[in-house]
Amino acid sequence: MNKDLPQISGFTRRYLHCLPAKQPFRKKLMTPCIFMLSWLLLLTLPFTGFSQTTGILVKGKVADILGNPLPGASIKVKGTATGVSADVNGNYILQVPDASSTLEFSSVGYASQEILLNGRTALDIRLTENSKGLNEVVVIGYQSVRKKDLTGAVSVVNTGDAGKVTSSGVAESLQGLSPGVNVRTSGAPGQQAAIEIRGIASFISAAPLYVIDGMIADANPTLNNDDIESIQILKDASASAIYGSRAANGVVIITTKKGRNGPAKISLSVKYGVQKIPKQWDMMNSTQYAALKSQAYTNSGLPVPASIGSAFNPAINTDWQSLEQRTGNDQDYNLTLSGGTEQSKYLISGSYYNNKGVLQANSFNRASLRINTETKKGIMTFGENAVFTNSNYTNPNRGNPFFDTPQSLPTIPVQSAQFINTTGNFNPMGYSLGTNDTGAIQDISYANNMIAINDLSKGSSNFGKLVGNAYVDLKLTDWLSYRFNAGLEVSFDFTRDIRKDGVFRYGNQPELSYVDENRQRFTNLLLEHTLNFNKTLGKHVISGVVGYTQQSYLRTSDDARRTGLAIYNGQYLTQINSATGTSSATGLTIQDDKLHSFLGRLNYTYDDKYLLTLTARDDQDSRFGAGYRNGFFPSVAAAWRINKEGFFKADWVNDLKLNASYGRLGINTITSFQNVGFINNSPRAVFGPGAQNTYVGAYQATLANTDLRWEKRTIGNIGVDASFFHDALSVSVAAYNSLSEDVLINLPLGQFLGNANGTPPVNAGSIRNRGLELEATYRNNTHPFKYSISGNLTTIQNRVMSVGNQGKGINYLQQGSTRSEVGYGISQWYVLKDMGLFQSQDEINNYKRKDGSLIEPYAKPGDVKFYAKPDGTGSINSNDRVFMGSPLPTLQAGLQFNTSYKGFSLNLQLVGTFGFTIYNGVRSTLDSYQNTNFRTDVSPWTPGNTNTSDPRIGIASNDPGISSNNTPESSRWLESGSYVRIRNLEIGYQLPKSTIQHLHVDNARIFIAAQNLLTFTGYSGLDPDITGNGLLQPGVDNGNWPPSRIFSLGLNFGF
Amino acid sequence: MKKSIIYIFLAILTSLSACKKDLDIVNPNAPTVTVFWKTSDDAQKGVNAIYSTFHRAGLCRWYFFATMIRADEGYSTSPDANLQNNFDLFINNDYNYGNYDAIWADLYIGINRANQVLDNVPNIDMDAALKARYLAEAKALRGLFYFHLASLWGNVPMILKTPLPTDLPATMSRAEVWTQVEKDCTEAATALPLNYSDPNDLGRITKGGANALLAKSYMQHRNFAAALPVLQSLISSGTYSLTSNYQDNFTATTENNVESVLEIQNALNPTDNHDDDTSPNDVDNLNYGSSIPPFFAPKPIGFTDGQARRWPVAEFEKENTTSGTRDPRLAVTFLFDSTDVRGPNFSMIYGQTFTSRYGTADSDVWFRKLLNDNNGTATGDSFHSPNNYRFIRYADILLLYAECLNETSSTSQAYQYVDRVRQRAGLQTLSAAMPGMDHDQFLNQLKHERITELTGEGQRWNDLARWGDLGPALSSRDAGFNNFVIGKHELLPIPQQDLDINPNLRQNPKY
Repeated sequence: MNKDLPQISGFTRRYLHCLPAKQPFRKKLMTPCIFMLSWLLLLTLPFTGFSQTTGILVKGKVADILGNPLPGASIKVKGTATGVSADVNGNYILQVPDASSTLEFSSVGYASQEILLNGRTALDIRLTENSKGLNEVVVIGYQSVRKKDLTGAVSVVNTGDAGKVTSSGVAESLQGLSPGVNVRTSGAPGQQAAIEIRGIASFISAAPLYVIDGMIADANPTLNNDDIESIQILKDASASAIYGSRAANGVVIITTKKGRNGPAKISLSVKYGVQKIPKQWDMMNSTQYAALKSQAYTNSGLPVPASIGSAFNPAINTDWQSLEQRTGNDQDYNLTLSGGTEQSKYLISGSYYNNKGVLQANSFNRASLRINTETKKGIMTFGENAVFTNSNYTNPNRGNPFFDTPQSLPTIPVQSAQFINTTGNFNPMGYSLGTNDTGAIQDISYANNMIAINDLSKGSSNFGKLVGNAYVDLKLTDWLSYRFNAGLEVSFDFTRDIRKDGVFRYGNQPELSYVDENRQRFTNLLLEHTLNFNKTLGKHVISGVVGYTQQSYLRTSDDARRTGLAIYNGQYLTQINSATGTSSATGLTIQDDKLHSFLGRLNYTYDDKYLLTLTARDDQDSRFGAGYRNGFFPSVAAAWRINKEGFFKADWVNDLKLNASYGRLGINTITSFQNVGFINNSPRAVFGPGAQNTYVGAYQATLANTDLRWEKRTIGNIGVDASFFHDALSVSVAAYNSLSEDVLINLPLGQFLGNANGTPPVNAGSIRNRGLELEATYRNNTHPFKYSISGNLTTIQNRVMSVGNQGKGINYLQQGSTRSEVGYGISQWYVLKDMGLFQSQDEINNYKRKDGSLIEPYAKPGDVKFYAKPDGTGSINSNDRVFMGSPLPTLQAGLQFNTSYKGFSLNLQLVGTFGFTIYNGVRSTLDSYQNTNFRTDVSPWTPGNTNTSDPRIGIASNDPGISSNNTPESSRWLESGSYVRIRNLEIGYQLPKSTIQHLHVDNARIFIAAQNLLTFTGYSGLDPDITGNGLLQPGVDNGNWPPSRIFSLGLNFGF
Repeated sequence: MKKSIIYIFLAILTSLSACKKDLDIVNPNAPTVTVFWKTSDDAQKGVNAIYSTFHRAGLCRWYFFATMIRADEGYSTSPDANLQNNFDLFINNDYNYGNYDAIWADLYIGINRANQVLDNVPNIDMDAALKARYLAEAKALRGLFYFHLASLWGNVPMILKTPLPTDLPATMSRAEVWTQVEKDCTEAATALPLNYSDPNDLGRITKGGANALLAKSYMQHRNFAAALPVLQSLISSGTYSLTSNYQDNFTATTENNVESVLEIQNALNPTDNHDDDTSPNDVDNLNYGSSIPPFFAPKPIGFTDGQARRWPVAEFEKENTTSGTRDPRLAVTFLFDSTDVRGPNFSMIYGQTFTSRYGTADSDVWFRKLLNDNNGTATGDSFHSPNNYRFIRYADILLLYAECLNETSSTSQAYQYVDRVRQRAGLQTLSAAMPGMDHDQFLNQLKHERITELTGEGQRWNDLARWGDLGPALSSRDAGFNNFVIGKHELLPIPQQDLDINPNLRQNPKY
């Protein structure tokens, strides 16, 4: 069978070529039909129906372990189609063929039980809550299987834990909950977290593919976490292969909540939280600053500016960080109505989430309406899942408060009448730029005045979005069904930027006031035809899916701007029509891609012991040139359930399964239109007499690489899944080896090529990721005091195997301070090494090259000594750079502890990330001592203060020693980022039924939670969890928005 | 039943097209390279793109720091220590200093634009004369970009074809770069017109412009014999003369006048907010001018990131005009306490007297030629300036010719050309004032003449380099030269990021 899938694909490809346009009808009919028929013929196997016979009546009640009735529970006669559902009170009556029948009791969320009637006609049963164990059904893409039958690496995320975290998106809520999943967050309202599954193996994007209810669409913050029923993460080649060319970074499958068989249920949840940034940079006040800065000028033999010397005014003491920050809050409301019958199920939910950001002028809110329904009629099942969301962001979109506010000088006021300058509307509001307008030397800063930005630059965005899918499922026979699934994502994005008159930074180009409106429209259309089959023949079980899909993406953008906003009585009019200046407009198609694919998966199980899965997908992607368009991605997986073997005697082992997989995936991280060079017509020449005119210029600004190919990834995976002591303990271990080849990268080009407006992607190099993942859960649900503890560990070893043909002698890619060199991990720090401070002139004079020349001839005592390579020449230079660690963690861990006793519950989540190095870009600016405020605990070297790691202070002008201390490419700015964080702590109380019954409330729960309560780290920046600066510089902290500490109070009601 | 079901979904399937042509998606935003370079209009747009390069930040801003602030005529009092160190003080610790990279990158962007014209326009079916002119414009401008590279970095990679992303060209010696400049300019000059008849072409490079650049290139590596006939042809062409009013060479209302040989065209876009002429998202807000005023103008009009040294003032004061007044070029060249000869109470600095702005004890001097202070009446200046940059003036050509004659043992014949420049300034002729000078005396006098005529126009660095005067000795005029290392600081460091990418490049000596 292993060979069959490629052959099938070849077969289809042969017959699916485009026929001449003269035969459109024949073309349309011929193409997919042969493909489908081939599978039908293959699977045409006999089947038999069931007939119901009359027998005896059995009645009883189904309840949970505490005796609460379970309405809607299913009671079936084993081996037949006969069955009923329990009523509102959990009671049932069922006709069974005879007294020796076995009944199967099941209810969603509870472990199924089989009970032999043994002559009884009354049978009450208590179901224990499902341990989310091995019989849990997991969605693996176009198919669902029991978790125990998985052959590939699939993580099932505990959505209970994920849902306890206040987050603006799915990705952020996954932090620490699944091995192999690295989440790097930004605390900005409505910001999407960066997520990497099994390490970074690509240079452009490591983002996984998201599949929401079968719709392939980004799970960005417009998705409401409360709607999510389950999250599965597909990690290896076998599990992901059904998504082929987009799956190499892993696949996150999200299933939203559905209605259930039973009476209508209404649930309401309300949550309110207060947010605060846990840490600020500890900066000097104006008096401390003026004193130290004066010393800097004096040390450099320069006159002390009046503003911090003779005319220093201690009354001005601006704490920029505190002015910019505030206590934020979040409110989350969800109201859900759900219910259904055997034939028809529905769920309608409305939600509103509002996040007032922890910074001034930053906020996010989202309202959403979800309607999920499913109706059966005969052999037909029709269903849809749809969510409408309306999201709003506000942010000033200029400057970075986490970079600018610590730098800003305490000696200057936010604004003052003395700075008002109405000439050319330069500064009508009198915002201070850190200088005054006299001829004297002034102490200035190049930091943005963030308070001015909050006023002068108003940005807002609105996203109106519909994401959903509708499907019709035809149950052709009891083993074969056909499904047509149409998915649609439509987004209307509106961004508006209002720029008021005035400057906000020293050296700013004054801008005319303007209003700028950008409208984008995005559509993502998915059409899928799939055939699912599932057939049991004695000990043989065959199941699988084949299908054909098409997906297309289109994003267009229009932008209109007009300068000269009208102001009346101090109020700005902000519509384009109310402005009186120059209009400008642009518009373009940002994305226009299509993907055509065939897919198939075959699962074979023998006697529940031996499992085999073959998966393949054939993708054709418009983003590649005609010669490189096609990609075929096959995989194979096998599993062996050892505990089912006769020789296996340990009955305390409930399950022991060994699995292995191998396969190839693709990745396409490039944007549209990159395989062909195009002409840029933005240049403008100036000619002519007088005021002169402009003339359009055109040329190919961006170099193109016409032989762009698929980025391929080959992944091998070996795992063991085991379950012990009646499923109380479950353990999964996986080891993987993934090799990326033809990795797509926007290769940093030499400036000498004259390339502009973006770098072309090229297939350069190869990256290997190897790692171990461990996941274990122990749960005890058999006593009133229930608890579970689960943990996961991930190690990733990342190696660059090749960097393509970079030229003779070049086996690395360089980007800023990082280097990805063959044999090393991706994006290692490659900088000058800080060796401490020179304590004396003798030490400087003795620091020599082999030829006797001084290594740091300009240094003075108190300057940084940098490591010099033994074979180096000249004064310290770029050739002395060395590898200084990795921005990628070597070990990541997560721990969740859940416990409950009667109505009380406690949930504790910990995350830990270890063994990585951060470039503290903010500290590098602050500790350079130039044009910024100083940290209070900085202790510059002086002849009397030698026991310090901070170099001497002075003005860097004309002082190469100080310039060198501040060199950006040095290990002085690298710090360990390892941390352990109490991610979430929640305490809840379920109100007793007796208390709430008379209020017509079925259940009520109250909880308090603390998120990001404590972080243990040696990192001196605001937080070690950073999103970084792209994949070539993932460890650069240039003022990452840190996660907030959030205290929440929540209420859940069910009616 | 089963058959009918199969037909149902076959019918649905037929609604989809599996045609591969669906996957051939045309970029609707811009033409592909395969449909461009077909018409005369395409050729013209290609050439226009080369001129557009002059308004990118590297060439409309930082170039002036590298040529004026680095030389002894200028210095920096910027609060930004990196700017002072790199542009003024010969402290180049960071070989990736962004503002140098900007010049370097923009020059190569211009070269890429020229190369694309030179590679593609020959294949266009169009008027042969116009084609030849377009190709000549591209060559001359490529020569200009390499001229700046040779002047500033010396030993650089040479790209003479449209590059591939994987190209890793080797470092060429400075001499080879000069040779390429001269080849381009020579070839261009034969096909370029003396003047453009269509006013819409005013500002395109001319035969005279290419020849002037050619001569400057020869002179920078002291091939005076080669420069001599080229300069001779420029002078004898009769195309150029000196304006009667010296200041006409520096105001936005008197551009492209009789003295202009090679002039960079600037215009003002009142809504500009960026310099990236390849950004398709913001075309209407592109800068078309120079951005020198905010950086060089007296504070608070500008940030005074670059300003003038005081010593050249004395050079102007060495000699009065024949009518006994101060050299009129001094007031045109600088804003300072005595821009008006009567002193700070009368010297107008953007609408206010010097005294009212700075008192009477401030000795600051600011370059004036690239500003728009309109003789002191303007109260502010634009961030981007419409004032054209006169890169090569006829006065410069006359002085260069005199220098060539002097260097080729024809000192006595050189006097007349210096005299023309001096007479326009109202000074006594050199023939009358200082007859009979030998080579060295005449060269010394020429150095003085070039200071008084050309200060603040970006010529000083190359003058000092040609004369071999760059060195710590200049520190008496400009303290930054204390850090000057001979054999090193004549050239700038090759950007480290390019060295990291391209193993075939060499860093300049002693860096």
